[in-house]
Amino acid sequence: MNSTTAPEMSREIYTSNWQGYLLLLPIVALSLIFAYYPALDTFRLSLFKTATFGLNSVYVGFENFNRLLSSGVFQYSLVISLAFAVVVVATTLAISLYIGYLIHRILQGSSLYLVAAIWPYALPLAVSALLLSFLFHPTVGIVTRALETIGIAFQWRNDPVLAFMMVALATTWKLIGYNVIFIVGALATVPKSLEETARLDAVGSWRLIRRVYLPLISPTIAFLIVLNTIEALFRPFPVVDLMTNGGPGEATNLIIYKIYQDAFAYQNLGVAAAESIILFVISGILMYAQIRLSDSYAHFG
Amino acid sequence: MTTKTTTTDTDGTDEGATQARSASDFGLRDGLADISDQIGLHILLVVTLAVISAPIVLAILFSTQSASQILNIGGIGFGSEAVNNYWTVLTEYGFGRYIMTTAIVAVATAIGKVTVSLLAGLAIVYYDVPFKRGLFLLLLLTLMLPVPVRIVPLYELMIRLGWQDTLLALIVPALASPTALLVLRQKFRSIPTSLVENARLDGVGPIRFLFKVLLPMSRGMIVGLLGIAFIWGWNQYLWPLIVISSEQKQVIQVGISQLQGSVAAGRPLWGLIMAGTVLALVPPLLVMIGLHRPLLKTFNYQTQ
Repeated sequence: MNSTTAPEMSREIYTSNWQGYLLLLPIVALSLIFAYYPALDTFRLSLFKTATFGLNSVYVGFENFNRLLSSGVFQYSLVISLAFAVVVVATTLAISLYIGYLIHRILQGSSLYLVAAIWPYALPLAVSALLLSFLFHPTVGIVTRALETIGIAFQWRNDPVLAFMMVALATTWKLIGYNVIFIVGALATVPKSLEETARLDAVGSWRLIRRVYLPLISPTIAFLIVLNTIEALFRPFPVVDLMTNGGPGEATNLIIYKIYQDAFAYQNLGVAAAESIILFVISGILMYAQIRLSDSYAHFG
Repeated sequence: MTTKTTTTDTDGTDEGATQARSASDFGLRDGLADISDQIGLHILLVVTLAVISAPIVLAILFSTQSASQILNIGGIGFGSEAVNNYWTVLTEYGFGRYIMTTAIVAVATAIGKVTVSLLAGLAIVYYDVPFKRGLFLLLLLTLMLPVPVRIVPLYELMIRLGWQDTLLALIVPALASPTALLVLRQKFRSIPTSLVENARLDGVGPIRFLFKVLLPMSRGMIVGLLGIAFIWGWNQYLWPLIVISSEQKQVIQVGISQLQGSVAAGRPLWGLIMAGTVLALVPPLLVMIGLHRPLLKTFNYQTQ
């Protein structure tokens, strides 16, 4: 097309249309077949009442949505999923900013510290969930027993709030790796001259953080808020499945777990599809809001 | 002058120079204040990162202990059952097979993802085809469609294709990766136009151009993308749980949950569970540590 800029223009050295499309064919075909088609089919399915996979489906319009939005269990699942996202995003960012700032300030061994901080990126959530389940096991867990010796009974499996916090902890642990990577990268772009000037003016480190670092890395923080929100909404399935099964009661019945249960345990495919659509809409709104937010913050930089 | 432009590239001599200079620039008193400041930072970092890594160390220690050693309080240390626990898990609980299956899935996914994205990147940056901006946007928008948004129809599609309970279901639907394409496009666009112009004047065909120019110029990026895709492929849980029904073809993350289920009945053999958990963690962890430089460079490209 003709709107390309000059340097890109000179890169377009091949003109054969069929070759170009042939190179694009695999990724376009894969995206259409395995991403767009099933996503659109989710919309269709959300308008049907289904008994079993592929059989006995009846068109019911928006009944699935009506029933969900007026169902107490679903409303609760929605609220705790959003609360979960808020807790995970806030905790992850606080810990990662703290670690990132320390690594940025350190002069010796920063590469080693960086690797020691970002490894949880590779942590499988199933492993995270099983390890924490074991360390905090009600009878044999080493942390639970340590807490017992100082008089704290940490029985998180029966306590809705503590169970919720444990699921959030297992999710946060993994996310720290990814967040530190981007925060350290962003801090490295803060001009050294600014830091030196602030130091010569004897600006306290807390003011330095608030006036220099945070405004300058705010686009990265906005990006991480979007990313962490999506991770917190879509990814914690293994954690819930292995640590709590949604319980106690409904305390950790996050929407991603509920979708799985409705679809594959109860075979309510239409209902599960409607839940997927609601989750999609929520994450879409959040993404859009955060992109707008990061635009307005970017002016600081 | 910046002495520390990127955190990943610092080496010993650079850091020494920084310290020496800041000491002379700010005088002895400031130098001493700097040193105590630095010691404080080291202590904070060591303590924080120790807390973050402690569960892994504990898992490794417990994976060497017998059931009774774990139940006995104060038993933090290497136990007597290391060989026994790992051998039992690998042979009796199918972890040898889980590791093989998961490795095949993760490696195939990684190579496939990068190959498909390399071809598309070549077309997007170096071909003048109509509608390519629209197509690029179409590909990027799949970022909005993670598996949970399409999970039920995707499962039905696997049944219709006859891929249910096959490794194809774990590999093929994951191959279109908008992030890999985005990163490679960015990298290709940073290759000097003079090189591209030379290729054009020499009449180099697209395949030779890909192998002789693009691949060597983006080697670090490709290694980074392979690493990221391997870690992603190895860590899958929800999709294999749904689409793989026979234990013979199951992946390791679902494997550890089944291990927990089978040995937790009756007297839980936590040493075995920890051994399985360590096996599920070590491959992606080694990839992360071994490839952290190319991985970090690849991530940095994502934000540009």
